[in-house]
Formats: sequence, C-alpha cells, structure tokens
Amino acid sequence: MRRRNFLTTLAAIGAMPRLSWADIGSPAYLAAAQTPDGSYSLHGLSLAGESLFALPLPARGHAATAHPERPHAVAFARRPGSYALVLDCARGQALARLTPPEGRQFNGHGAYSLDGSVLYTSEQLAENSEGRVGLWESATYTRIGEIPTHGIGPHELRRLPLSEDLLIANGGIATDPTDRTKLNIDTMRPNLARVTPEGKLVSLAEPPPELHQNSLRHLALLPDGRAACAMQWEGDPAEYPALLALWDEGRITLHEPSLEDSFAMDNYAGSIAYSPATGEIGLTSPKGGVVQIHGADGSYLRMVHRADACGLAASPDGFTLTDGNGAISTLRPGGLELRQNLGLQWDNHLIALAT
Amino acid sequence: MKPLLVSLCLAATFALPARADVAEAVQDHILPGYARFTEATRALADIDSCAGDTLRDGWNAAYDAWIGVAHLRLGPVEDDGRVLAIAFWPDPKGIGAKQTAAAFRKADPALLTPEQIAEQSVAFRGLTGMERLIYADTPPEGYACDLALALADDLARMAAEVEAGWRSGFAQALTHPGKDGRYHSEAEARQAMLTALVTGVEFNADTRIGRPLATFDIPRPERVESRLSGRTMRNIALSLAATRDLAQTLYAKDSLTDAAFAKAEAMVPRVDLAQVADPQQWLKAEILAQSIHAIRDAAMAEIAPALGTGIGFNAADGD
Repeated sequence: MRRRNFLTTLAAIGAMPRLSWADIGSPAYLAAAQTPDGSYSLHGLSLAGESLFALPLPARGHAATAHPERPHAVAFARRPGSYALVLDCARGQALARLTPPEGRQFNGHGAYSLDGSVLYTSEQLAENSEGRVGLWESATYTRIGEIPTHGIGPHELRRLPLSEDLLIANGGIATDPTDRTKLNIDTMRPNLARVTPEGKLVSLAEPPPELHQNSLRHLALLPDGRAACAMQWEGDPAEYPALLALWDEGRITLHEPSLEDSFAMDNYAGSIAYSPATGEIGLTSPKGGVVQIHGADGSYLRMVHRADACGLAASPDGFTLTDGNGAISTLRPGGLELRQNLGLQWDNHLIALAT
Repeated sequence: MKPLLVSLCLAATFALPARADVAEAVQDHILPGYARFTEATRALADIDSCAGDTLRDGWNAAYDAWIGVAHLRLGPVEDDGRVLAIAFWPDPKGIGAKQTAAAFRKADPALLTPEQIAEQSVAFRGLTGMERLIYADTPPEGYACDLALALADDLARMAAEVEAGWRSGFAQALTHPGKDGRYHSEAEARQAMLTALVTGVEFNADTRIGRPLATFDIPRPERVESRLSGRTMRNIALSLAATRDLAQTLYAKDSLTDAAFAKAEAMVPRVDLAQVADPQQWLKAEILAQSIHAIRDAAMAEIAPALGTGIGFNAADGD
C-alpha cells in the first residue's frame, strides 16, 4: 500500500465508529481459499460453515491471524511470501499491505501480542533461511523491529497464553532464496524456541538426534500451558516416525500412532488443532487423506478418512475440518459429518477466532 | 420442443448412478482383481503341507494376485492395518524379521490359532511374513511350517474380508457418492481413482526401484522388494500391467498414457535390481524409473483432464 492511500485509510478509520468482531456476526473461523475462477480470497466462516464475508487476496494464501479485539485479520501469503494483507473484515477493505524488508520472506504465519498492539510475523532471511520475527505496531502497521527465531526456516509461531512470549516452530529447513527447493535435509536441525518479545531465548527444544529430519512446523496451544506441534518427516520415506510432538516448558516428547496406522499420514501433517470440548489433538494429512486423533497426553486414539483434508480448528463439539474439495465438516468422536460445501478449495489452515 | 429435449437429456444424465469411468474401474478392474486375490489366497490356505514346492507355488500365485490390487490403497484395506498386514514392505528397520525371530524363540503353539495370529503385528504377518519362512535357508519344518500355514490362513481371511467389504459397501460408496458417504460427489470419486492410479504407478519408481537404486555412489541392492524369493522384477512388471489396466478402465482413449506404459514395460526385462551395484545395471534401473515417472506425467496430462480432476489442492502443494 502506498503511504498516501494508507494515510487516507487511517483517517477513514478515525472518522468511523469502532467496530468489533461481534458487529460482523462473530465469525468463528478464518480460512483462505481458491475460488473456481482461479482467484484467491479470505473468508470469515460461521460455526455452521457459512461464509460471513469474503475479501480478495492477491495470491494464494496460507494462514491468517486475527486481532484480539478489532475485526482485523492478517492473511499471509503462501511461502515464500511476499505479502501479508491486513484486512478490516467489518468494512471489507484492506487496511495495509505488509511487505517484508529487503532480503526477508514471510513464512506464512503470524500472531498478535496479548493486547493486540503488536503483530509478529514469521520470516526468514532469503539468503540463508535464518529465522526472524518481524514486529509491526498495529495502529499503523509500521515495522518497528525484528528479533531472531533462534533457528532456521521458522514456520508457525504462537503467543503463549497469559504471556508475551512466543513459541516458534523453527522447521529447520533452509530453502533456495527464490523457491521452495530444500537445501539442507542431511543436516537440518528443527527446534521449538520460546522467545521473549525482546528476542531473548527462554528455552529451546529439539527432537532426538535420530529424528533431526522431522521438521517442526505447526502449533496448537493446550489449555494447561503445553503446546502440540505437528511435524513433517524429511528422512527416509520408508520410515514412519511420530508426527506429533508435545512441548512442555522446553522439553518435547514424541507420540506415534499405532504401527498399522503409521503410514496413513504419508509422513506429513498439514495442520494441528486442540479441541477443548473433547480434550483431543487432531492432525491432518492432505497427502494421506486422513485425520489422526490423539489424546491430550499424546496417546493415539483413531483415524478418519477424508481426501485432501487440511484445515482444522476446534468446534463446540470436536473439530471443524476443511479440505481442498470444498467441504466444511464437523469431526466429532462419532465420525465426520458434512456441514457445507461452498464450491471453494480451502487452503492449509482454518483459524479459530477467540471472539 | 427444444427446452423439453434439453431437460430430457439432463434427466438422463442425472439418472446415471455415476460416471462410467469410476463404475467401469470398479466392475472391470477392482472387483475382479479382489476376486482373484481371494481365490489365490484361499488356494494357498488349502495347502496343508510344507513339503516340495507346493507352498511356494501357492504363495507366488497369491503374491501375483495381490500385485493386481496392491495399488488400491483405499477402502477396506485401510481398516485394521490390512494393507500393511498383507504385505509389509518396505521395512527399513527389519521389524518383521525381528518379530519372526522372537516368535521362533518362544515357539508358542497358542500363537498359531486364527484368533491369535490375527492379533499379531502387521509386520509379522502376510505375504512378507510367509516369505521369511518359506524362502529361509532351510525349508520350513515343525514350528516354522505350522506358522507358515497359519499365516496363509490369516491371509485368506483378510483377502475375503477385503473383497466382502468392497462388495457390501465400498464399491457403492465410490459409484453412488453422496454427502453422507466417503465421497461426496462424482468428482471426488474420480479424484480417488486418479490418486490410486498415480500413486500406484509412482510406487514402482520411487520405492520398488528407488530404494535399491539409492545413489550412484552407494547403491543398495539388499533393499529390493521380495529379495528372498527373487520376485523383485516380477512385482514391477505385474504392477505396471495392473495400473495400465486401471488407466484403461478409467479412460479408454488413454493413448498417451498407454504408450508410456508400453515403453516402460518393454524395459523391465532388461533390468535386474539385484545387480544394481553394477554401474550399467544402475543406469538401466534409473532409466526405467524415469520411464515410469513419464507414465505419471502422461496420466496427469491426459487422464486427469479427461476425468476433470487432479491430485488434491493441498496434497499436491504442502507446507
């Protein structure tokens, strides 16, 4: 966004009454999609899967994050990302288009500070994939600084509950500056880093050495202060190691499904979510066409089949699941039930709004 | 008159249970393939002696029949880990061999009942579990023979269950998709078939060839599939024939794809993956793998648009 347009937009915000998420029907979720004409958009969805609003995106999206109070959503581009779009979901307009500083790339995820005053963006240096968190103040979406992620190729980051610290999934994979070609699979070392907003490392957890090729990528926060992390295995594809890690203050434990269901994820977890209603952790695999459910202690429970399943978030009675064939389904302990199909291809992530 | 004709045509279209492509694949490829597998494993289970070549012959016939359907990793084979319990390969950590050795140490007769065998690990059972016994250095006798015969019975049970599962419900789920079923639309059923075809073809290049091929500097001939029985190249030949048949039933005019199959199939007899440590053989195997990837490319260029589908939006991308 050009500075002049941006200032005009700011002036407009000042002139209008402040709206909240409730004023736009309290959407339960945000999700990016491709429409049948090939364009991309960000949708606000009700619990029943109705689209409450749809705002255009300039290119394929990946994930989004929502401001805790203001109805602002930040849609992140698919990695390596050249944009993050701050959208005023109430007025249906773009507030700001964030572009990473020279030599940096957005990595598809971000989060707000506890009070919403700062937006954190997951980034890497194009040159060597070293991780950075971009800091943007959220009144004008001006960049105010950056801190290290303490790892290579960071992917999802989440703010820990009742804290300003960030939990960052450093995927460990160095990529070519111009595309997604992986450069360091033999030597990659992913980690989960807890980092203060000033960039100080509080704790660092790594998978055991023999599983150093298990890329830690996506996060779900648990109500007791722990976190669950979904992994993608880059090692020998004939091995099917655990794809779920549970993080507890700097230590991680890995949790495998049963041997007979181990191959079904195809060594790839696309999204992860925790459901407070059922106390379960779900991992999706669009490559395997399955969702695997674990208990909050990591124990493996069961598996559900759904082709191209990827987006997953908590619902009042389990999970809501989105897939590349357009279905928005409810996943309860009893099974999977289709709620809506809007004829869109849902992208990787379904973001639950706390409002 | 004209609008009436149009609506009649539309009515005719909607009256069809599903597009002929999926229905034909089920009727002409999938169900006959599973019937052959059930029959071959039943014949194997009927053998009650480990003497002579009878058991090996029966096992090979069952393996042949399995390769005819092994690319169909959807439906009843997904339940209870059956697809792994029927043939557990690759097994890079040698889990199956360790479990077989452990069973020998115990030599527990109670393990041999159908109920107990069915409860054993997927790595221990099935065609690969039997191969370790009937292609061991010494012919199976005593407990080894009893175990081989018990595994044959277990295999026949699983084959019958899989076929019954297809006939009693899964075939219907594919050919009559609906919002309460596994597939919500014809497009989703066609996507499932295309995915089975493409992943089935690729398994030959990426896994059956790719694992022993490894790298030019360090080839890994010991990693071949069916190393003890020497079925390695036969599995590839049969798998290409089976996936070629699936491609034909999905889209009869698949001339590009069919030509790519023919080219790869013609190369198979000239490759011996057990000899992949020989640089000449390594290169031939590499070329065969490339020609199998070319089948995948042809299918995506020809059959995917004909079916109006692709590999999943997220499955094909990933992040």
